[in-house]
Amino acid sequence: MADRLTQLQEAADELANQFIACFYYLERRHDLEPFGPNDKIPDLKPEQPKEVDSLPPDVFQAGMVELARDLILKEQQIEYLISNLPGLDNSEREQEQLIRDLEEELKVAEAQRLEAVKEKQEVLAKLNQVLRGIRRH
Amino acid sequence: MDSQDDSARVTALFPDPPQFWKAFTPANLSRFETLKQEYADQHGLGRNTVVRVPNLPEDLLYLQSPPEPEDQKWRLFSEPLSLKDELQDLEAAGIQRLAPPTLLDANKDGKHGDRAFELKKIAKSLLLNFLELVGLMGHNPSLGEQKVQDIKTLFLNFHHILNEYRPHQAREQLIELMQDQLDAKRAETAAIRAVVDKAKRALEGLGSMEIPGGGEEGEAMKVDEAGEGDGKKDGEGMEKVEVEKETWIRADEQFS
Repeated sequence: MADRLTQLQEAADELANQFIACFYYLERRHDLEPFGPNDKIPDLKPEQPKEVDSLPPDVFQAGMVELARDLILKEQQIEYLISNLPGLDNSEREQEQLIRDLEEELKVAEAQRLEAVKEKQEVLAKLNQVLRGIRRH
Repeated sequence: MDSQDDSARVTALFPDPPQFWKAFTPANLSRFETLKQEYADQHGLGRNTVVRVPNLPEDLLYLQSPPEPEDQKWRLFSEPLSLKDELQDLEAAGIQRLAPPTLLDANKDGKHGDRAFELKKIAKSLLLNFLELVGLMGHNPSLGEQKVQDIKTLFLNFHHILNEYRPHQAREQLIELMQDQLDAKRAETAAIRAVVDKAKRALEGLGSMEIPGGGEEGEAMKVDEAGEGDGKKDGEGMEKVEVEKETWIRADEQFS
Protein backbone atom coordinates (compact mmCIF):
# COMPACT_ATOMS: atom_id res chain seq x y z
CA MET A 1 0.00 0.00 0.00
CA ALA A 2 1.25 3.39 -0.87
CA ASP A 3 1.93 5.87 1.89
CA ARG A 4 -0.65 8.46 2.73
CA LEU A 5 1.02 11.28 0.87
CA THR A 6 1.00 9.28 -2.32
CA GLN A 7 -2.58 8.31 -1.73
CA LEU A 8 -3.41 11.96 -1.39
CA GLN A 9 -1.60 12.83 -4.58
CA GLU A 10 -3.41 10.09 -6.40
CA ALA A 11 -6.70 11.26 -5.01
CA ALA A 12 -6.00 14.76 -6.32
CA ASP A 13 -5.23 13.35 -9.75
CA GLU A 14 -8.41 11.34 -9.65
CA LEU A 15 -10.32 14.48 -8.82
CA ALA A 16 -8.86 16.12 -11.93
CA ASN A 17 -9.87 13.08 -13.96
CA GLN A 18 -13.38 13.31 -12.60
CA PHE A 19 -13.55 16.94 -13.64
CA ILE A 20 -12.75 15.89 -17.17
CA ALA A 21 -15.19 13.00 -17.04
CA CYS A 22 -17.93 15.39 -15.93
CA PHE A 23 -17.21 17.70 -18.82
CA TYR A 24 -17.19 14.88 -21.26
CA TYR A 25 -20.54 13.69 -19.97
CA LEU A 26 -22.10 17.15 -20.14
CA GLU A 27 -20.78 17.74 -23.60
CA ARG A 28 -21.74 14.44 -25.14
CA ARG A 29 -24.94 13.56 -23.41
CA HIS A 30 -26.85 16.82 -23.15
CA ASP A 31 -30.33 17.23 -24.52
CA LEU A 32 -29.65 19.65 -27.41
CA GLU A 33 -31.81 22.32 -25.85
CA PRO A 34 -31.55 25.63 -27.78
CA PHE A 35 -30.80 28.61 -25.56
CA GLY A 36 -32.29 31.28 -27.79
CA PRO A 37 -34.22 31.67 -31.00
CA ASN A 38 -30.99 31.94 -32.98
CA ASP A 39 -29.67 28.57 -31.92
CA LYS A 40 -30.08 25.78 -34.37
CA ILE A 41 -29.49 22.12 -34.04
CA PRO A 42 -27.50 21.11 -37.10
CA ASP A 43 -28.99 18.33 -39.14
CA LEU A 44 -26.55 15.52 -39.37
CA LYS A 45 -26.48 13.00 -42.11
CA PRO A 46 -27.05 9.52 -40.78
CA GLU A 47 -23.56 8.34 -41.70
CA GLN A 48 -21.87 11.21 -39.86
CA PRO A 49 -20.75 10.35 -36.35
CA LYS A 50 -23.01 12.03 -33.89
CA GLU A 51 -21.41 14.80 -31.84
CA VAL A 52 -24.02 14.57 -29.17
CA ASP A 53 -25.52 11.32 -28.07
CA SER A 54 -28.47 12.56 -26.09
CA LEU A 55 -29.83 10.70 -23.15
CA PRO A 56 -33.44 10.86 -22.00
CA PRO A 57 -33.79 13.86 -19.65
CA ASP A 58 -34.32 11.85 -16.49
CA VAL A 59 -31.37 9.58 -17.18
CA PHE A 60 -29.21 12.59 -18.00
CA GLN A 61 -30.27 14.27 -14.78
CA ALA A 62 -29.56 11.16 -12.76
CA GLY A 63 -26.13 10.90 -14.33
CA MET A 64 -25.33 14.48 -13.43
CA VAL A 65 -26.43 13.93 -9.86
CA GLU A 66 -24.25 10.86 -9.64
CA LEU A 67 -21.21 12.62 -11.03
CA ALA A 68 -21.73 15.56 -8.69
CA ARG A 69 -22.00 13.20 -5.75
CA ASP A 70 -18.81 11.46 -6.80
CA LEU A 71 -17.04 14.80 -6.95
CA ILE A 72 -18.12 15.66 -3.44
CA LEU A 73 -17.16 12.22 -2.21
CA LYS A 74 -13.71 12.50 -3.72
CA GLU A 75 -13.23 15.90 -2.15
CA GLN A 76 -14.31 14.51 1.21
CA GLN A 77 -11.89 11.66 0.77
CA ILE A 78 -9.10 14.14 0.11
CA GLU A 79 -9.98 16.08 3.23
CA TYR A 80 -10.03 12.90 5.24
CA LEU A 81 -6.63 11.94 3.93
CA ILE A 82 -5.31 15.39 4.78
CA SER A 83 -6.52 15.10 8.34
CA ASN A 84 -4.76 11.76 8.59
CA LEU A 85 -1.40 12.88 7.33
CA PRO A 86 1.25 11.37 9.57
CA GLY A 87 2.74 13.51 12.25
CA LEU A 88 0.83 16.72 11.67
CA ASP A 89 1.38 17.66 15.27
CA ASN A 90 5.10 16.94 15.37
CA SER A 91 7.62 19.58 14.58
CA GLU A 92 10.92 18.69 13.02
CA ARG A 93 12.78 19.13 16.30
CA GLU A 94 10.39 16.81 18.10
CA GLN A 95 10.81 14.25 15.39
CA GLU A 96 14.57 14.35 15.67
CA GLN A 97 14.36 13.98 19.42
CA LEU A 98 12.00 11.06 19.03
CA ILE A 99 14.31 9.37 16.57
CA ARG A 100 17.24 9.73 18.92
CA ASP A 101 15.24 8.37 21.84
CA LEU A 102 14.10 5.42 19.80
CA GLU A 103 17.66 4.75 18.76
CA GLU A 104 18.72 4.53 22.39
CA GLU A 105 15.82 2.30 23.27
CA LEU A 106 16.61 0.06 20.33
CA LYS A 107 20.17 -0.36 21.57
CA VAL A 108 18.96 -1.31 25.03
CA ALA A 109 16.41 -3.71 23.63
CA GLU A 110 19.00 -5.31 21.38
CA ALA A 111 21.34 -5.83 24.32
CA GLN A 112 18.54 -7.42 26.30
CA ARG A 113 17.69 -9.63 23.39
CA LEU A 114 21.26 -10.83 22.99
CA GLU A 115 21.39 -11.54 26.68
CA ALA A 116 18.22 -13.58 26.42
CA VAL A 117 19.56 -15.48 23.44
CA LYS A 118 22.71 -16.27 25.36
CA GLU A 119 20.72 -17.49 28.30
CA LYS A 120 18.62 -19.58 25.99
CA GLN A 121 21.67 -21.22 24.54
CA GLU A 122 23.02 -21.99 27.97
CA VAL A 123 19.78 -23.58 29.04
CA LEU A 124 19.60 -25.46 25.80
CA ALA A 125 23.07 -26.87 26.31
CA LYS A 126 22.20 -27.87 29.85
CA LEU A 127 19.00 -29.52 28.75
CA ASN A 128 20.81 -31.36 26.03
CA GLN A 129 23.33 -32.65 28.49
CA VAL A 130 20.66 -33.87 30.84
CA LEU A 131 18.69 -35.56 28.12
CA ARG A 132 21.75 -37.26 26.76
CA GLY A 133 22.68 -38.31 30.24
CA ILE A 134 19.28 -39.92 30.69
CA ARG A 135 19.60 -41.77 27.44
CA ARG A 136 22.96 -43.21 28.40
CA HIS A 137 21.75 -44.95 31.51
CA MET B 1 21.63 -5.65 -53.97
CA ASP B 2 24.10 -7.37 -51.74
CA SER B 3 26.58 -4.52 -51.79
CA GLN B 4 23.82 -2.07 -50.89
CA ASP B 5 22.87 -4.17 -47.93
CA ASP B 6 26.48 -4.27 -46.86
CA SER B 7 26.90 -0.51 -46.95
CA ALA B 8 23.69 -0.09 -44.97
CA ARG B 9 25.05 -2.48 -42.44
CA VAL B 10 28.29 -0.56 -42.15
CA THR B 11 26.56 2.75 -41.54
CA ALA B 12 24.46 1.13 -38.83
CA LEU B 13 27.45 -0.08 -36.91
CA PHE B 14 27.57 0.63 -33.25
CA PRO B 15 29.68 3.76 -32.61
CA ASP B 16 33.25 3.33 -31.44
CA PRO B 17 33.89 3.54 -27.74
CA PRO B 18 35.33 6.89 -26.58
CA GLN B 19 39.01 7.20 -27.27
CA PHE B 20 40.05 7.13 -23.65
CA TRP B 21 39.45 3.38 -23.32
CA LYS B 22 43.02 3.01 -24.57
CA ALA B 23 44.28 4.63 -21.38
CA PHE B 24 43.12 1.70 -19.28
CA THR B 25 46.16 -0.51 -19.75
CA PRO B 26 47.28 -2.76 -16.89
CA ALA B 27 50.44 -0.70 -16.56
CA ASN B 28 48.51 2.56 -16.30
CA LEU B 29 46.06 1.03 -13.86
CA SER B 30 48.81 -0.10 -11.53
CA ARG B 31 50.55 3.28 -11.80
CA PHE B 32 47.30 4.96 -10.87
CA GLU B 33 46.84 2.64 -7.93
CA THR B 34 50.32 3.46 -6.65
CA LEU B 35 49.71 7.18 -6.99
CA LYS B 36 46.44 6.84 -5.19
CA GLN B 37 48.06 4.88 -2.41
CA GLU B 38 50.81 7.48 -2.07
CA TYR B 39 48.30 10.26 -1.94
CA ALA B 40 46.30 8.40 0.70
CA ASP B 41 49.41 7.83 2.79
CA GLN B 42 50.53 11.43 2.49
CA HIS B 43 47.25 12.74 3.75
CA GLY B 44 46.63 10.07 6.28
CA LEU B 45 43.46 8.92 4.61
CA GLY B 46 42.02 5.47 4.18
CA ARG B 47 42.53 4.05 0.70
CA ASN B 48 38.86 3.89 -0.03
CA THR B 49 38.10 7.40 1.11
CA VAL B 50 40.29 8.94 -1.59
CA VAL B 51 37.93 9.98 -4.32
CA ARG B 52 40.23 12.02 -6.50
CA VAL B 53 43.98 12.27 -6.73
CA PRO B 54 44.99 15.79 -7.80
CA ASN B 55 47.82 16.57 -10.24
CA LEU B 56 47.83 13.29 -12.08
CA PRO B 57 50.13 12.95 -15.07
CA GLU B 58 48.31 13.70 -18.26
CA ASP B 59 48.16 10.17 -19.57
CA LEU B 60 46.47 8.98 -16.40
CA LEU B 61 43.83 11.68 -16.28
CA TYR B 62 41.17 9.41 -17.72
CA LEU B 63 41.57 6.86 -14.98
CA GLN B 64 39.59 8.81 -12.48
CA SER B 65 36.21 10.38 -12.83
CA PRO B 66 36.06 14.11 -13.60
CA PRO B 67 35.56 16.59 -10.76
CA GLU B 68 32.17 17.83 -9.71
CA PRO B 69 30.90 20.67 -11.83
CA GLU B 70 31.93 23.94 -10.21
CA ASP B 71 28.57 25.63 -10.47
CA GLN B 72 26.86 22.47 -9.15
CA LYS B 73 24.86 22.17 -12.34
CA TRP B 74 25.07 20.04 -15.44
CA ARG B 75 22.89 18.85 -18.25
CA LEU B 76 21.95 15.29 -18.97
CA PHE B 77 19.96 14.53 -22.12
CA SER B 78 19.32 18.27 -22.34
CA GLU B 79 17.74 18.18 -18.91
CA PRO B 80 19.32 20.57 -16.42
CA LEU B 81 20.33 18.85 -13.22
CA SER B 82 22.00 20.11 -10.07
CA LEU B 83 24.01 18.44 -7.35
CA LYS B 84 21.57 19.37 -4.70
CA ASP B 85 18.31 17.62 -5.32
CA GLU B 86 15.91 20.28 -4.31
CA LEU B 87 12.25 20.76 -4.79
CA GLN B 88 11.76 23.42 -7.40
CA ASP B 89 10.10 26.55 -6.14
CA LEU B 90 6.65 27.29 -7.42
CA GLU B 91 7.86 30.72 -8.46
CA ALA B 92 10.80 29.22 -10.33
CA ALA B 93 8.39 27.06 -12.27
CA GLY B 94 6.32 30.10 -13.13
CA ILE B 95 3.32 29.21 -11.03
CA GLN B 96 1.49 31.55 -8.75
CA ARG B 97 1.86 30.62 -5.10
CA LEU B 98 -1.43 30.44 -3.27
CA ALA B 99 -0.38 29.45 0.22
CA PRO B 100 1.46 32.06 2.28
CA PRO B 101 5.21 31.58 1.88
CA THR B 102 5.69 31.46 5.64
CA LEU B 103 4.77 27.82 5.38
CA LEU B 104 8.00 27.28 3.57
CA ASP B 105 10.17 28.61 6.34
CA ALA B 106 12.50 25.97 7.59
CA ASN B 107 11.26 26.64 11.06
CA LYS B 108 12.14 23.56 13.02
CA ASP B 109 9.48 24.08 15.62
CA GLY B 110 6.77 24.81 13.13
CA LYS B 111 3.79 22.54 13.24
CA HIS B 112 2.33 21.19 10.09
CA GLY B 113 -1.25 21.73 11.01
CA ASP B 114 -1.24 24.90 8.92
CA ARG B 115 -0.22 22.91 5.93
CA ALA B 116 -3.16 20.58 6.33
CA PHE B 117 -5.39 23.61 6.62
CA GLU B 118 -4.00 25.04 3.39
CA LEU B 119 -4.49 21.74 1.64
CA LYS B 120 -8.08 21.60 2.72
CA LYS B 121 -8.64 25.13 1.52
CA ILE B 122 -7.22 24.24 -1.86
CA ALA B 123 -9.35 21.11 -2.08
CA LYS B 124 -12.47 23.14 -1.42
CA SER B 125 -11.37 25.81 -3.88
CA LEU B 126 -10.94 23.14 -6.51
CA LEU B 127 -14.55 22.08 -6.20
CA LEU B 128 -15.77 25.65 -6.21
CA ASN B 129 -13.67 26.52 -9.23
CA PHE B 130 -14.95 23.54 -11.09
CA LEU B 131 -18.48 24.60 -10.35
CA GLU B 132 -17.65 28.06 -11.62
CA LEU B 133 -16.06 26.59 -14.70
CA VAL B 134 -19.13 24.56 -15.55
CA GLY B 135 -21.26 27.65 -15.04
CA LEU B 136 -18.97 29.77 -17.20
CA MET B 137 -18.97 27.24 -19.98
CA GLY B 138 -22.74 27.43 -19.97
CA HIS B 139 -22.88 31.20 -20.20
CA ASN B 140 -19.66 32.47 -21.68
CA PRO B 141 -17.33 29.74 -22.93
CA SER B 142 -14.64 32.25 -23.91
CA LEU B 143 -13.90 32.89 -20.24
CA GLY B 144 -13.54 29.20 -19.58
CA GLU B 145 -9.88 29.03 -20.39
CA GLN B 146 -8.95 31.40 -17.63
CA LYS B 147 -10.86 29.30 -15.16
CA VAL B 148 -9.09 26.18 -16.37
CA GLN B 149 -5.82 28.00 -15.68
CA ASP B 150 -7.02 28.72 -12.16
CA ILE B 151 -7.81 25.08 -11.59
CA LYS B 152 -4.41 24.12 -12.94
CA THR B 153 -2.73 26.53 -10.55
CA LEU B 154 -4.72 25.09 -7.69
CA PHE B 155 -3.72 21.54 -8.56
CA LEU B 156 -0.07 22.45 -8.93
CA ASN B 157 -0.09 24.22 -5.59
CA PHE B 158 -1.74 21.23 -4.01
CA HIS B 159 0.95 18.91 -5.28
CA HIS B 160 3.65 21.33 -4.33
CA ILE B 161 2.55 21.55 -0.73
CA LEU B 162 2.35 17.79 -0.61
CA ASN B 163 5.87 17.44 -1.94
CA GLU B 164 7.14 19.93 0.60
CA TYR B 165 5.65 17.65 3.19
CA ARG B 166 7.61 14.63 1.98
CA PRO B 167 10.73 15.03 4.17
CA HIS B 168 8.53 15.38 7.21
CA GLN B 169 6.66 12.27 6.26
CA ALA B 170 9.89 10.37 5.66
CA ARG B 171 11.01 11.17 9.19
CA GLU B 172 7.63 10.15 10.48
CA GLN B 173 7.91 6.85 8.67
CA LEU B 174 11.36 6.27 10.10
CA ILE B 175 9.96 6.79 13.56
CA GLU B 176 7.23 4.29 12.85
CA LEU B 177 9.69 1.72 11.54
CA MET B 178 11.91 2.12 14.56
CA GLN B 179 8.97 1.77 16.88
CA ASP B 180 7.93 -1.43 15.10
CA GLN B 181 11.43 -2.77 15.36
CA LEU B 182 11.57 -1.94 19.03
CA ASP B 183 8.28 -3.70 19.65
CA ALA B 184 9.41 -6.73 17.70
CA LYS B 185 12.67 -6.92 19.63
CA ARG B 186 10.94 -6.64 22.96
CA ALA B 187 8.41 -9.27 21.98
CA GLU B 188 11.19 -11.59 20.89
CA THR B 189 13.09 -11.06 24.11
CA ALA B 190 9.98 -11.73 26.14
CA ALA B 191 9.24 -14.90 24.17
CA ILE B 192 12.77 -16.17 24.64
CA ARG B 193 12.65 -15.41 28.34
CA ALA B 194 9.37 -17.29 28.66
CA VAL B 195 10.75 -20.38 26.96
CA VAL B 196 13.95 -20.21 28.98
CA ASP B 197 11.97 -20.04 32.20
CA LYS B 198 9.89 -23.00 31.16
CA ALA B 199 12.95 -25.01 30.27
CA LYS B 200 14.59 -24.08 33.57
CA ARG B 201 11.56 -25.20 35.51
CA ALA B 202 11.57 -28.45 33.60
CA LEU B 203 15.21 -28.95 34.42
CA GLU B 204 14.61 -28.25 38.06
CA GLY B 205 11.78 -30.74 38.00
CA LEU B 206 14.04 -33.35 36.49
CA GLY B 207 16.78 -32.57 38.97
CA SER B 208 14.51 -32.98 41.98
CA MET B 209 13.21 -36.26 40.63
CA GLU B 210 16.62 -37.69 40.18
CA ILE B 211 17.60 -37.25 43.78
CA PRO B 212 16.52 -40.81 44.68
CA GLY B 213 18.88 -42.08 42.02
CA GLY B 214 21.73 -40.35 43.87
CA GLY B 215 23.65 -37.94 41.66
CA GLU B 216 22.50 -39.58 38.48
CA GLU B 217 22.76 -36.41 36.59
CA GLY B 218 26.27 -35.66 37.64
CA GLU B 219 27.44 -39.10 36.76
CA ALA B 220 25.72 -38.96 33.45
CA MET B 221 27.39 -35.69 32.68
CA LYS B 222 30.77 -37.08 33.48
CA VAL B 223 30.18 -39.84 31.03
CA ASP B 224 29.11 -37.24 28.56
CA GLU B 225 32.25 -35.26 28.97
CA ALA B 226 34.37 -38.36 28.72
CA GLY B 227 33.22 -38.71 25.17
CA GLU B 228 31.36 -41.64 23.73
CA GLY B 229 29.50 -43.48 26.39
CA ASP B 230 30.68 -47.00 25.63
CA GLY B 231 28.12 -48.79 27.64
CA LYS B 232 30.24 -49.26 30.72
CA LYS B 233 27.17 -48.58 32.78
CA ASP B 234 25.42 -51.61 31.39
CA GLY B 235 26.40 -53.83 34.20
CA GLU B 236 25.14 -51.61 36.97
CA GLY B 237 22.01 -53.57 37.46
CA MET B 238 18.32 -53.41 36.93
CA GLU B 239 17.55 -50.61 39.35
CA LYS B 240 18.94 -48.13 36.83
CA VAL B 241 16.39 -49.26 34.32
CA GLU B 242 13.67 -48.65 36.84
CA VAL B 243 14.93 -45.15 37.59
CA GLU B 244 15.22 -44.46 33.90
CA LYS B 245 11.67 -45.52 33.27
CA GLU B 246 10.41 -43.28 36.04
CA THR B 247 12.48 -40.38 34.75
CA TRP B 248 11.06 -40.73 31.29
CA ILE B 249 7.51 -40.80 32.60
CA ARG B 250 8.15 -37.64 34.62
CA ALA B 251 9.81 -36.01 31.67
CA ASP B 252 6.83 -36.78 29.50
CA GLU B 253 4.60 -35.18 32.09
CA GLN B 254 6.78 -32.11 32.16
CA PHE B 255 6.86 -31.59 28.45
CA SER B 256 3.34 -32.56 27.54
